[in-house]
Amino acid sequence: MIAELLFATFFGLLLLGIHRKVIARIQRRPGPPVWQEILHMLKFSFKTTWVPATASAALFVGVVLVAIGIWTAALLVILSGGSLLVIFAIYMLHKIVEHGFGLSSGSPYGKFGGVRSVISAASEIPLFVTVAAIAIFTKSLMISDIVAYQEVHGPLLATIPLAAVAMYVVLLSKMPFGPFSIVESKELVSGYKTEHFGVWRAGLEVCNGLKTYVLLMTFILVFIGSLPFWMILVAMILVTVSLSFVCALSPMLSPYDSVTIQTLIAGLMVAYVALLGVMS
Amino acid sequence: MNEIGGAPLFFLEFGDIVIYFTPFTLTLFLLALVFSVFVLVSRPERQIDIAFGGDAYYAKEISLSELRFRRFMSIACGLACMGAMVTGDVFDFTLFVSLVGICNVGIVAAVRSRHVQNAAYQYGLVALAGTVPMFAAAAMVAATTGTLSMLELAKGTATVPVAARALLVLGVMGEGMAPFYAAKAEMFRAPGAPYVIMCSLSSLLIFLRVAEVILLI
Repeated sequence: MIAELLFATFFGLLLLGIHRKVIARIQRRPGPPVWQEILHMLKFSFKTTWVPATASAALFVGVVLVAIGIWTAALLVILSGGSLLVIFAIYMLHKIVEHGFGLSSGSPYGKFGGVRSVISAASEIPLFVTVAAIAIFTKSLMISDIVAYQEVHGPLLATIPLAAVAMYVVLLSKMPFGPFSIVESKELVSGYKTEHFGVWRAGLEVCNGLKTYVLLMTFILVFIGSLPFWMILVAMILVTVSLSFVCALSPMLSPYDSVTIQTLIAGLMVAYVALLGVMS
Repeated sequence: MNEIGGAPLFFLEFGDIVIYFTPFTLTLFLLALVFSVFVLVSRPERQIDIAFGGDAYYAKEISLSELRFRRFMSIACGLACMGAMVTGDVFDFTLFVSLVGICNVGIVAAVRSRHVQNAAYQYGLVALAGTVPMFAAAAMVAATTGTLSMLELAKGTATVPVAARALLVLGVMGEGMAPFYAAKAEMFRAPGAPYVIMCSLSSLLIFLRVAEVILLI
């Protein structure tokens, strides 16, 4: 388990590095090396660390451990073929983690980042729609059952493409520098993570690596099915590159527009699943 | 579809009332527990506010009486939330959820600010209205199926009316309104951590649990 955890963290950070590199090359910048996020994590691990005088100390520190804990649990669920509903729950609870990061420091920048995270709760609804659409077809929410279903009936990507689009939008809303990245936009310095530095930021980087790995792995397993491990990794890189293209070519939306568009997408997806439910 | 939250790990029976843990409910329960411990051991943040018209800023302090009341309400909210996560009874679920709504109003209403108390009043009205469809849903389930046990209902021997499910979701939306109030006064004018976080956490948790309940019954 430790080996898988370390691999997931480092590969997730590598994917985020590839994301930055691709965005930079599309925008005709040289960009950082692809291992930059790994270097960030290592660098922050050895920097001076303290807790701000205005912070709610236990929460300020504890929320970092919660962030790593929930995504470690998510990785365990993926590896054991557990329930997709647990992944959904952890994804939603990540909002509380971002909120906790932002509010615990006492800083207005962190606070605005945390609040923006909560107001963009509409971005979670497409994931629930994905879960509902999958349940209609596979009659199970266990990832192992969903993979087994696809071995018999073919990839769900072909059966319910709009549910795959919904999940893709969910991935997009969690990628940095994307159209929905309002929680860490530059007018808020670094948003909810502004005041977390040193070891706390290193912990946050570990969480980001795990989160990226788990979400992309979930997307591949749920919509494409079982593949050899090296092919899953290649597929994760390809999905990341496609997300980077979207992020590089679309402007960051204002908080109001971001929430409006996410709500519209969520509404369309709910209608789609209602239609699927009636037809089945 | 009975194992939508994963295979059951543990049952705790109190007569005909059963508490059960699956990987899903256990995850939610542990999160509520961890944040309740944070509320218990953590002092509140000292929110920094900028004084408009200059480059000055100041830190808000919380009085001891306000701190005690908000901490009490937050811990009560955490306990109600833990109950709502693991109960296997529809009526108990609605009771715990309505308690979460009351505690959330209490957490916000304790702040001595006109703007924050206006927000608490509006939230209180919505939470109050939310209890009606929620208890109506529980009553409909009992009347049409003869049981309130989620484990019995999950067997599929009796069909729960779609209207009951819809009313249950509507009620939870009323009680768990906190995320929709995130841009309102209590978030910006009142020191938030760790108390306001309990509002958001409990709301998200009850949304997640009701999703499982609806799929289960």
